[in-house]
Amino acid sequence: MNEGFGPQKVFEIFGMPITNTVTVTWFIMAIIIGVSYLATKNLKKRASGAQIVTELIVTAINDLTEQTMGKKLKAFSPYIGTLLIFLGIANIAGLFGVRPPTADVNTTISLAIVTFVMIHFFGMKYNGLSYLKGFAEPFVLLLPLNIMGELATPISLGFRLFGNIVGGMIIMNLLYGALANFTPALIGIPFLQAGIPVAFHIYFDLFSGVLQSFIFAMLTMVFISIAVD
Amino acid sequence: MSFDLITANLRLGLVEFNATFFFQIFNTFVLYLFLRKLLFKPVTELIENREMEIASDIDSAIKKNEEAEELKNEYNQKIKDIENEGKKIIKEAKLIAETEASKIIEKVREDEKEIRVKNQMELEREKVKAINELKDEISNLTIMAASKVIGKNLKLEDHIALIDQFIDEVGDTKWQN
Repeated sequence: MNEGFGPQKVFEIFGMPITNTVTVTWFIMAIIIGVSYLATKNLKKRASGAQIVTELIVTAINDLTEQTMGKKLKAFSPYIGTLLIFLGIANIAGLFGVRPPTADVNTTISLAIVTFVMIHFFGMKYNGLSYLKGFAEPFVLLLPLNIMGELATPISLGFRLFGNIVGGMIIMNLLYGALANFTPALIGIPFLQAGIPVAFHIYFDLFSGVLQSFIFAMLTMVFISIAVD
Repeated sequence: MSFDLITANLRLGLVEFNATFFFQIFNTFVLYLFLRKLLFKPVTELIENREMEIASDIDSAIKKNEEAEELKNEYNQKIKDIENEGKKIIKEAKLIAETEASKIIEKVREDEKEIRVKNQMELEREKVKAINELKDEISNLTIMAASKVIGKNLKLEDHIALIDQFIDEVGDTKWQN
């Protein structure tokens, strides 16, 4: 199984394989936590320098959450912010030469399952039994269809992100492989890898990565607020 | 934990669920807790506090402005009042002074008149007195002259009556000139 584009096993804990998905995630987490610790170490009432950027990011996420989910649910802002920041960095991790954690179906489906649980937990918390009754609407015969529709949500959510990122990663790998094969045949110097991949990186890693993390966070907000309303 | 070269760096299937699933849920949860505590809570609180502070600052500034405006109007009114008061006082003082002055002038005039009248009366009295004295003098002289001429002493009373008659006949006007 040393072929293909699956995540690599780095080591094992109690027989559980720890893949580079997890190690890269830890690395990204360490960076995010470290940066946010430094950014908020001494906040001042009169903001200056890096604090302005920090406040800008937090305000943008707070505003986005409040606009999408309403004032009632603005407490979701830290979770949405976690999704946006983590997915945003994880999706463009390919730029730094590591395997993006979101190119692993375990990551994306786990996040989608968390969203799924949140949708139904908060749906029931805010609407009680009438929320469950909503699955039998407009009439009882549609109950299985509604349940299947609900189950499709985390699958589509998780695989949309996974597919986009892993697709980009595979294309980039193929491109690098192809360029590596082309150059020796031309003059023997690997020069083609220098400029050509940039355009592909911009599209598949930057554009697609940022867009997909935004879509994931957006859909999470929309689904939760629909269930709560 | 084991790390052996045979299984290390082996690729797992592209779509293969394994323990990573649970690791990633746990990782996300940990990251969420850290970000909430480190980033979102302090920054949001700071911004909210600042917004509240700014709002209260603006409110108090508006209030102070209103107070200042009120005070300004009050003081303007006071200054106006004082000006009016001053004008009134000056006017009154002028009036008093004028009446006083006219009174004084009136008095002076009256005094003058009085003095003049008095003087006139005095003069009149003096004149009468002088006339009377002259009359006496003349009658005495006349008596003396007559007695010298006649050589005998006439009865005094008869003579006075005679002389007076004479003088009256001559008239006051002649004496005055």
